[in-house]
Formats: sequence, structure tokens, C-alpha cells
Amino acid sequence: MAMMHRRRAWQDRFWAYLVLVALSLFVFLPMLVVFSQSLMTNMEVTRWPPQIVPVNPTLFNYNDVLTRQDLRLDLWLRNSMVAATGHTLAVLVICAPAAYAFARLRFRGSNALFAILLLTIMIPSQVTLIPNYLLMRDLKWLDSFNALIFPGAANVFGVFLLRQFFMQIPQELEEAAVMDGAGYLRRFTQIVLPLSSNALTALAIFVFLGHYNDLFWPFIVTNSLETRTLPVGLTILNSAYGMQYRPMVLAGAVLSTIPILIVYIIFQRRIIQGVTLTGGMGGR
Amino acid sequence: MNGNIFRLVVLMLLAVLALPFAAVAQDGEVTDLGEGEFKVSFWHGLGGSDGATLNEMLVNFVDENPDIGVTAELIPWDTLYAKLQAAFLAGTPPDLVLMHASELPQYASYGVIREMSDWYTSGGGWLPDDDLAPSTYGGMHYDGVLYGIPLDNHGMGQWINVDHFEAAGLDPDGPMPDSYEGWVELFQQLTLDANGNNAASDDFDAENVVQWGYSVRQYPRVIFLAHLAQHGGSLVSEDGTTVTVNSEAGIAALQNSVDLVYKYNVSPVPAGFNAWEGYANGALSVLPAGTWFLNFSRTIDVNSKAIAFNQFGPEPAAWFGAHTFFVPAILEGEKLGAVETLLQWISANQGHWAMSGQVPALLSVQASLDPENFPSNIVMGASFADHGVVDFSSTVTAELYRTGLEPELNAALNGQKTAEQALNDAAERMQAILDRGE
Amino acid sequence: MTGASARPGAGLDWRPAWLPEINLKRREEIAAWLFLTPFLIFFAVFIGRAMFAAVQMSFYDWHALRPSRPFVSFENYEELLRDDVFWFALKNTIVFTAMTVAGTTVVALAAALAVTQPVRQANFFRVLLYMPSLFSVGAVGLIWVWLLNSQFGVINYGLSFFGIRPVNWLGDPALVLPALSLTTIWWAFGFPMLIFIAGLQGIPEHLYEAARIDGANARQLFFNITLPLLRPTILFVTVTGVIGHFQVYGQPFIMTNGGPGRSSYTVIFYFYHTAWASFRMGYGAAVAVALAVIMAVVTVVQFLVISRRVEY
Repeated sequence: MAMMHRRRAWQDRFWAYLVLVALSLFVFLPMLVVFSQSLMTNMEVTRWPPQIVPVNPTLFNYNDVLTRQDLRLDLWLRNSMVAATGHTLAVLVICAPAAYAFARLRFRGSNALFAILLLTIMIPSQVTLIPNYLLMRDLKWLDSFNALIFPGAANVFGVFLLRQFFMQIPQELEEAAVMDGAGYLRRFTQIVLPLSSNALTALAIFVFLGHYNDLFWPFIVTNSLETRTLPVGLTILNSAYGMQYRPMVLAGAVLSTIPILIVYIIFQRRIIQGVTLTGGMGGR
Repeated sequence: MNGNIFRLVVLMLLAVLALPFAAVAQDGEVTDLGEGEFKVSFWHGLGGSDGATLNEMLVNFVDENPDIGVTAELIPWDTLYAKLQAAFLAGTPPDLVLMHASELPQYASYGVIREMSDWYTSGGGWLPDDDLAPSTYGGMHYDGVLYGIPLDNHGMGQWINVDHFEAAGLDPDGPMPDSYEGWVELFQQLTLDANGNNAASDDFDAENVVQWGYSVRQYPRVIFLAHLAQHGGSLVSEDGTTVTVNSEAGIAALQNSVDLVYKYNVSPVPAGFNAWEGYANGALSVLPAGTWFLNFSRTIDVNSKAIAFNQFGPEPAAWFGAHTFFVPAILEGEKLGAVETLLQWISANQGHWAMSGQVPALLSVQASLDPENFPSNIVMGASFADHGVVDFSSTVTAELYRTGLEPELNAALNGQKTAEQALNDAAERMQAILDRGE
Repeated sequence: MTGASARPGAGLDWRPAWLPEINLKRREEIAAWLFLTPFLIFFAVFIGRAMFAAVQMSFYDWHALRPSRPFVSFENYEELLRDDVFWFALKNTIVFTAMTVAGTTVVALAAALAVTQPVRQANFFRVLLYMPSLFSVGAVGLIWVWLLNSQFGVINYGLSFFGIRPVNWLGDPALVLPALSLTTIWWAFGFPMLIFIAGLQGIPEHLYEAARIDGANARQLFFNITLPLLRPTILFVTVTGVIGHFQVYGQPFIMTNGGPGRSSYTVIFYFYHTAWASFRMGYGAAVAVALAVIMAVVTVVQFLVISRRVEY
């Protein structure tokens, strides 16, 4: 019995490793190509057959992309970070109480309202672009961080995710607090929120990542180098130099991914725990 | 307990409301880069090499005019139209924008760009009307009124790999063919398979080509417009009401390019092929590309030479257009004066712009270019002056091109439709657009 | 699976005896609306109002900059019904979405199953496999256009070692959607992978042990325990996947510009073309509204089909 068990475990692991190696190659090879091309000269990348490993790796492209006068990767990175952080905070502050109401409080129209909200996930964001752009103008928010932070703050997906999580928190914990005379505010802030840090982190990361890579809206509402975000800057970098200086553009792409990779590595355990506790998120 | 809820909600609302102000406070720091009161915001779509030349010029301008600042913004062409549309709609356009002459009628018809007659000498201004070629000058008009200041003539020519020519026993400096048959023969001699056989030879292995004579990949629309004119056709009838793109001339023009791919095997199937890269790594001998290719040609390992655009039809024709400055109609006062100063300065320094490879718009500047330093500008510029064709000028040109013509050209060149079918389909959609009209 | 019977907040009915019941209920209701207020304000301003404006726009011949905007009632929708390109784009979108959702789901599930086994460096793999999702669509397009290039692409170069002739991935009308789909799977399977990892960790280990004692093999464990218990997760992954990938736009925009011909036109790509490149906002709005309606129908059908199987 034990022997069989061990053999089976070995077999499972064999398949697991096989899948992991195959998928890792699938994922890793394109990234390797990008990285190694960013270390090549302009002449080398257009050579045929393609070189996977640079013969004389050079950091020239990194130096170039960081020092060109018309490119400000440092500024763009800061802008992206400020905008994405601000947006993430706004989403959490706005969505968490709403999710609590949907998860725990009874009110007329609760289910209907929730269904309507879910339906709006299906509206492509391009549809709301013109009206929201005009609103930005009226609020004098064009070319400011406000235009990057607030328009998507009512994040229905966020409400959905947090509601699923809040519903998994044992009722007894809140009931105990009610015995102590706690109101809705204290139940929410002192019991539900502290127990939800992983879910909040998971949501924060997804929102942050999504916002960090958003392109079309920032393109329309930002005008100056000073509010431009990283993806917008990279697109401009590509259209300005993509044809002629692909290695430099790739160096820019690599640099822009590093900060977000660090954020992901730091929080990756919490994300999975956060999502886990939402009970597979599929309930209902 | 009710008090608690109330307090919570007030706190949250305050937090939410405070956030915008917190962010506004940061703005001041971020945008505080102003240099004096005249800061001209300028949008353009010039990427790559010509954009770099433009930036050099702006740096010089700011040096010479310390009281005027310029914030130049590169926005990829595709996105520029979307962004400009939104900005005009919101009444927040840039102070100056560079687009193409073919877009002039559309924006002029909306009444959002400024009449420029007073900046031309005919209206008492500084830009000599007679220093512009008639086609360029004509393109600055809508309803008989001048709306733009041209920067250049940018148009199509060809860039050839001199070493390939010599290896095939062809003279890169000699006269080029003046017929379709002549060009096909030339491309065949330059198209080689892995065994070194060229496309004219019986042993040619069409499945294993390592060097292509030509590519129909890039700029299909302007190439088609030139070939259309070479065959004596036009996009739209003279009175501007009927689409004639599917005339015999049109079908013949498109068929020429299609046959280079599927009949003569001298061009790769366009989609998925990068013609610039192919040219750069020696897999393409004749690259149809424009004046704007000059600086790129200098960064690659290919012995390049610029020649005029090919001639497939009975008459020569080469497409060209004009990068054109527009000023929003709402601009006024000292800001407008600053923009005028800038444009006047740029016009006076068009010679610098020639470094980008583009042909300066002013005839006097064109004449001053020396053959030593500006061979590509001169050879292509001469072809535009002699037999240049420009875009169809109308308020719906952009829509005609993007939703009517371009996808169909693409379908034909990729072998999805016959040339005739593609152009019939294009004509149908384009006619609907024209009929919907103004 | 919290059944539909478990109303939110049930079991919180405790109240001081001196408080009348009506008051308690009303208080809860007031509290709920107050909790919802900030969200609803933002929702109304940035989504509700904007959506209303978009629907309104679809009934006008609304060119952004043209001074006159005549009301045309249902003309835009009538044109839409006759517009071959819209229907073709819709077909492409459906094909793309089906391939991409199926592909990401399978790849993500395989990856999740593998990293939840007791393998060394599971965390390393979790980070590595999620990495493509950290790229922006612009960077992804840039990378894959070059990988898929018909003549100089690394993929065709690799295939040449197996004697396979160059494949024109982005130039063949039959291959372009699968190629874009492959790109998207590479880019997007990370998120569903995390969801599946979470779902797998939620399955109690004792279920497996019990089944093993009964002599079940790995295949039986997967099909009789893992898959049924993952159904809610699969529902979530496929529904969000369909919603997300139906709105695909960046990949064709960057990689093929809709070509060859119109073979990779998607609905949002077409929307962009009409509304932003051709300035026909009113018609573009009609395209978008139609897409939203179609997506709503698809999602409801999906819910009905999958959730029925969940409940048995």
C-alpha cells in the first residue's frame, strides 16, 4: 500500500514536472528573446539567422533609452506608480463598503441592483470614453492625475470579488461583536476588514496591474510629458523608434516590467491566499 | 449606533472627496515647467528619424526665441486623430498641430482650424504664395480659402541595395525600366532561391526564396494611388460624386502588384513580412519607401541608393503629400503671435528640415539643396515635381481610405480576393461613404 | 457554493428586546444604502451617465466635430443589420474568444494542477508562469509580431529545424486568429491560473485520501473529484474570460491592423475604426451597444448552462 502510494506520488510529480517544463519554455523563450535582443546592437538584431544569445552583450540600449532627451522613463514610471496607487486606493475605499452591504446587509432591491452592476461589466470601456472625456474637461481634470485615478474607481469586479470573500467570513464572529454592542461601522472596520487583508491585497494587485498597463484612456487624457504614464510613453517610444531601433524599444519594455515584477513577487503569496478564501470565487 | 454609521459614511465621503484635491496639489509640482507666458503646445506624429530632426529644429528655435517655449508632443498618427478629435470636441486643442494636407478639408469643414490667408503674401503676410508648387499650394485650400502652412513634400520613391544590383549584373546607376515588363524582369533577376537561381530561371524554387526583388508590403494605399494614375485612372470621378476605383485602370493597377506576388514570385506575401527589416538584413533588393527612409538607411548595414518610384503603367506617376501645420480657430492674442513666430521661423529654416530626407515645401529651398548632401531629396523631389500625384481631397477622405479602400487592397495583395472583386467591394463601400457625404 | 437560499446577512437578527423589529430592519436598510453611497455616486457619474450618453448617441448621426447632429432614430441600427463588416467582425470575435477562453482555461488548469503538486520551487514557477501577464499589450504585440514574422521570425526559424516550411502566421486568413489567440493565451493565462490554484487549494485533502483508499487512480481522482468541485471556479474563469476577450482590440490593432484583408477585424477594432478613425461616433456607439447586448446574452446563457450542471 505504502509502496503503491509512493509510486503514484512519484508518477504525479513526474507529470507535474513535465507540464511545468513545457509551460516554462512556452512562457520563457519569448521573454528570453526579448531580453537578449535588448542586449544586442541594431545591426545584430536584423541579422539572419536570428541570434538567440548575443555575441557581445551590450548595455548600450539601456543607456540610450534612459538618457535620450525626449524620453523620460523615470518620470513616466513615477506617474504610473502615483496614478496606479491612487486608483487602487480609491477602488478599495469605494468598493469595500459596497461589497459589505451586498454580502451582509439586507435591503430591498439588493439582488436586482447586484445583477445590474454585473451586467455593466459587459460594457466596453471605449463606449463611455467621449462622455467621460467631456466630463474631465468640465472638471478641469484633463492632463491631471485625477483623470487617471477616479473614472474607473467604481470597480464592479472589485465589489464582486470582495463580496464573495466577505460572505465566507463566519457569521458568528460578527454576532459576537453585536453582543458587545457593535454597530455596522465597527463590525465592518474592526472585524470584517482585518480578516480580509489577503483578499484586499489580491484585489489591490489586480487593480494595480490592470491600471498600470492601461493604454487608451491615459493616451486621450494626458498631454504632457509630466503626466504621461509608462505604457503611453512606451507606445510613443515604439512608434518613434520601433522601426529603426528595436533593441532600444525592447530595453524600454524590459525596464518597464521590472518594477511591476517586483511588486508581484512581494505580494504573490498573499494574492493566492486572498483568492483562495473567496471560496474559488465561483459561488453563486 | 446610527451615529456610528453616519460618522463612517461622512468619513468615507470626506476621504473620497479629499483624494482629488490631494492629487490636484501634486499637479502643480508636476506641470510647473513653464518658461515664460508663451508656451506653445504642439502635436505631431513624426516618429523615427524625421521626428528627431524636428526636435533639433525646435531646440534651435527656443534658443533664438527665449521668450517662447514649445512643448512638442509625438503622438502616433493613428492615435493622433482620435486624440485631436476629443480635444477639439472639448475645446482644448493644442496651439499647433502637424498633419497632412489630405486632412485639411475635413477639419476646415468643421470650422475648427484657422484661416491662414493673412499669413501668405497674397493676404499681406510672410509666406510667398508663388514659392510653393501648384499642387502643394492647391492642397492648402478648402472652399477657396487657405487653411494650412506646408512643411514639406514627403512622398514615395524606392531604395535599392546596390550590392544586390551589382551581383546580379545590373547597373544601379543606369536608367531604370519604364514599363511593367521591364520592372518584372529586373525584379526576377534580383529574386534568388536558396540555390542561387533567380526567378527567371527554370530551376527557380519559389518555395525557398532567400532574396526578394520587391515587396508589396508597405504603403499599399499610396502605391496603388500612384499606379492608378500611371494607368490613367482616378479614385473618384472628376465631379467628385462617383467612385471610379474599380475602373479598368484601377484593376490593372492593382493586378500589377498582385501578380508580382502570385504570378512572378518576386515579392513575398505581404502580411507577416517586415519589409524594412527584410531590406535591412539583405533579404530584399528594392524597397518601395519614401523620403522619410533616409536616416534609417544610414543606421543599417546595406549599401543603399535612392531612386525614383517605379513605373508600371503607360505614364510615370509618384505619390506625394504635404505635412501641413494647422492652428485651431479658437487661438488668439499673444499665443497666436507666438505660433506665427514659430511657423515663420520654421519656414525660414526648411533647409534644416531637408536633413530628415523630406523635400522642403518651398521651391526656393528645394532649389538650394546640393546634390552632394541631399541626393535622395533631389531625385525624389524631381519626380514629385514632374509627375507627382496627391491624395483625393475631400471632407471624407480619411473614411474613404480607412474603411473603404485599405482593407480591400490588403485582401487582394494577400490573395484573399481577386483584384476586381476587391475593388468592386471597395467601390461599394466608398460610394456609400461619398453618398452619405458632408 | 452558497446556495441561493443563504440570503446575505441571514443569522444577524439579534436585537435588543426593547427595540421594535421594524426599526431594526429599517436601520439595516439605511446602513446598507449608506455603505453603498460612495460606490453608487462614482458608478452613476462615470459609468451610468456615460452609458446613457452612449446609448443616446447611437440614435444620432453624431460626428464628433460636425456642428449639426441630426436625430436619426434607429437608422444606425438598421445600417448595422446590413453591415457585412460588423457581422464578419462579430464572427471573428466569437471564434477568437472561443479559442482563447478554451486555450487559457486548459493551460491555466494544467499549470495550476502542476504547481499545486509537491514539486520543488513551486513558488518560482508561480512567479515565472505569471510573468507574461505583467507585460502591457503594446509590449506583447511588439514581441509576438516579431516572433511570428513569416520570414525572419524565431518561430519559423525553430520549425525549420524540423523540416517545416515557413508558415505565414499573420498573413494567412485561416491562421491569423489562431496566431492572435496563441499570443493572448501566452499573455493572459496567468490570472486564471491563480484562480485555479486558489480553487484547488480549497478542495479538502481528505476527499482524495478517501478515494485513494477505494483504489481510485489519478485519472479517476481528477474526473470524479477535482473537476466537479472546480465547476464554480471554471464558471468564474470562463465567464470573466469571455467578457474580457470579447473586448479584444489591442492585439489586432498592434499586430495585424485587422488584416490580412479584414480577417482579424474584431468588434471593438471595428468600433475604433468607425468612431475614432472615421469620426462616426453615432454609428460607433450603435456598434458598441449591440456588442454589449450580445455579450449580455452570451453571459446569461453561459451562467444557465454551467450553473445548472453545478447544481445537478
